[in-house]
Amino acid sequence: MPVSQSCLVCQNIDCKSRGSEQLAAELQQKIAAKGLTDVDVKPYMCFGACQEGPNVVIYPEKNWYAHVKSEDLDDIVAHLEGGPHVQRLDTIDSSLKELIYQLLDTGAF
Amino acid sequence: MEGILFPKGVVEDREGLKEYQARGGYTALTKALKGSADDVINIISDAGLRGHGGAGFPTGKKWQFTREAPELPRYLVMNGGEDEPGSHKDRVLLENLPHLVIEGTVLGAYAIGAAKAYLYINAKYEAAIKSVNDALGEARTAGYWGEKVLGSSYDLDIEIVAAPHNYVAGEDTAVLEVIEGKQPLPRQKPPFPVTVGLFGKPTSVNNVETLANVPRILLKGADWYRGFGTKDCPGTMLFSLNETEDVKRPGIYELPFGTPLRYLIEVCGGGLKDGKKIKAIMPGSPSSAYLPADKIDTPLEPNAMRDAGSMLGCGVVHIVREGDSIVDELVRITGFFAAESCGQCAACRMETNTLSMLMTKVQQGQGNAAILEQFGKVLAFNKGKGFCNLIAMPGPPIESALKLFPDDFQALAKTA
Repeated sequence: MPVSQSCLVCQNIDCKSRGSEQLAAELQQKIAAKGLTDVDVKPYMCFGACQEGPNVVIYPEKNWYAHVKSEDLDDIVAHLEGGPHVQRLDTIDSSLKELIYQLLDTGAF
Repeated sequence: MEGILFPKGVVEDREGLKEYQARGGYTALTKALKGSADDVINIISDAGLRGHGGAGFPTGKKWQFTREAPELPRYLVMNGGEDEPGSHKDRVLLENLPHLVIEGTVLGAYAIGAAKAYLYINAKYEAAIKSVNDALGEARTAGYWGEKVLGSSYDLDIEIVAAPHNYVAGEDTAVLEVIEGKQPLPRQKPPFPVTVGLFGKPTSVNNVETLANVPRILLKGADWYRGFGTKDCPGTMLFSLNETEDVKRPGIYELPFGTPLRYLIEVCGGGLKDGKKIKAIMPGSPSSAYLPADKIDTPLEPNAMRDAGSMLGCGVVHIVREGDSIVDELVRITGFFAAESCGQCAACRMETNTLSMLMTKVQQGQGNAAILEQFGKVLAFNKGKGFCNLIAMPGPPIESALKLFPDDFQALAKTA
């Protein structure tokens, strides 16, 4: 099945120091356990919101979750399954969101 | 014409204490110690000496601010971190003219009333560190620093600190962090080092070349110094034309401010080898805007360079030849800034990494109009952010290249 959404997990030094490697691996496992074959997990170099990391951007639907912890992953996976948007993790400034989404829209990443 | 720093006109061997004394070395210090520290500051201000590390701040003003700061003790830091790619002028001064630099340091320290001066020197410069260390020994024996300098009431301690050789380690507040035994990370400004500097005390951080100008200005006077250069920017500057620029005579040249860029490239450097043509010039590599080849007569002077759309920086002149790919250069430049961003500011980390990645995509032939538009957006978004100036550095090369050489970018897009 083609991928319909990607979970871009920042893997730069700051997010990594906050556990983003482990987080990406856990997210991958949970997605696989739910059988979501059209969703993948990819590393991203830096979203510019280090102090709010770890950051996970769901693209192309454009949802940005910040301060993501292990215990948040079930809600994010539920969202990927069609559940509600996880409002408490949506804390990023809209101008930064816009910049990053435009970059992603170029298809360069 | 006789230079200020290199009176023989060329960089020759190391100058020892006796040779330096024979041409008037340390007489400026002897003279200054008989007068007041304010006299030193006044002469340097009247001469119009500006910092030669890249920012061009008036040296007399910096010293005055430091001297007027109420906290004690005060410190002077000679910044010889010299991490700008292609810049070796400070190394040459430290290796060949150690006493000139030391006298300038002692004079600066006296001017601000510093209890201690630190000589911060790039750790890679082993020969320079040895040269300065040897000279410090000679100068101390001769009474030029230490307790009661030349029999006066002024005490000055001096210590060499080896500098890590990453790019931000030369930024003045990162320098202070290293001397304090910490990682080379720039501090948020304000406060500026002149009020809250080393160990929280008033500190003047001065580039090696700046300090090297001081003894001769004090010896010969402000008017003599103003005989070099332009009205707005008196004096000389060391310009680097490296071997990588493919000029016939690479080297470090001391030229008065206001000398046309053409003189440096064609007369000093002998022009390009093999009759190649110039496509563009980056006067203050790697963080200044490219100038098109027809601006080769722009004077080497900060205001004229600004009017022409670029800047002098610390005088490392880079030449782009006809046939060179501007995109390949920008991949190298953006990669450099991404690697050298210290990472403590989120905006800088994102910006430098994103620009580097975008430029690599362009090089790989994915540079469509949407991608090319992102450079300006990413730069505009991050403008004014970050603790230090590194965040602003990739902008001028990228934006000037996009404006001057759109065909270079288009050609790559079409080959995809």
